[in-house]
Amino acid sequence: MSPSSDVRVERAVCLPAGVALHARPAGSFVRAASVFASEIFVSANGRRANAKSILDILSLGAEGGVELVIDASGPDAAEAADSLAMLVPALA
Amino acid sequence: MVEGNGAVSLILVSHSAEIASGLAEMAGQIAGPAVRIVAAGGAVDGSLGTDGGRVLEALRASAHGAGAVVLVDLGSSVLSVRAAINELTPEELEHLSVADAPLVEGAIAAAVAASTGCSHAEAARAAEEARSVAKL
Repeated sequence: MSPSSDVRVERAVCLPAGVALHARPAGSFVRAASVFASEIFVSANGRRANAKSILDILSLGAEGGVELVIDASGPDAAEAADSLAMLVPALA
Repeated sequence: MVEGNGAVSLILVSHSAEIASGLAEMAGQIAGPAVRIVAAGGAVDGSLGTDGGRVLEALRASAHGAGAVVLVDLGSSVLSVRAAINELTPEELEHLSVADAPLVEGAIAAAVAASTGCSHAEAARAAEEARSVAKL
């Protein structure tokens, strides 16, 4: 494991207007998060959810246009945070 | 790792045909088309109840390859799954996990886990974690 393995990376990104983090978009997000080894969390509306848990993500109740803060910690944290921050605006 | 091709399947056993089919639709929408979801709800004539024969058929049909997670609602659904398990061979049972989980949340969690390509045992664990996730 490289010395960078404990890095923590944070990215803020907005959900597209009209796309809530529910149903299909939530599933896509969790699937995308699950490929990374890092621990990944998403904060919205003052709550923080495990990005790899669909039930946790659904409980955020994040509606379209809301800002999500993605924080990732672990060996691939930067790649995970960047990749999810790119995915969110493309959710439909 | 998953053996064989494709994602783990889900088998939903409920007293109500509508609950099983509605939940299959909902979990399918969240998990995407790669996850096969079998609704085994209601009695033989479609009334409330369980159809042991259909449950056995559903389990047997999925007991190969990546296998399946079985989710149940209450009471005799559990009994019909137990009865079906007694009819299956040890080789078939290696392809199945029964999740001790709430049906709706468990199915959503297992379906999304299955869509990531995990094993049936891992998908069952994801379903069981539903018991500790706060709803409010």
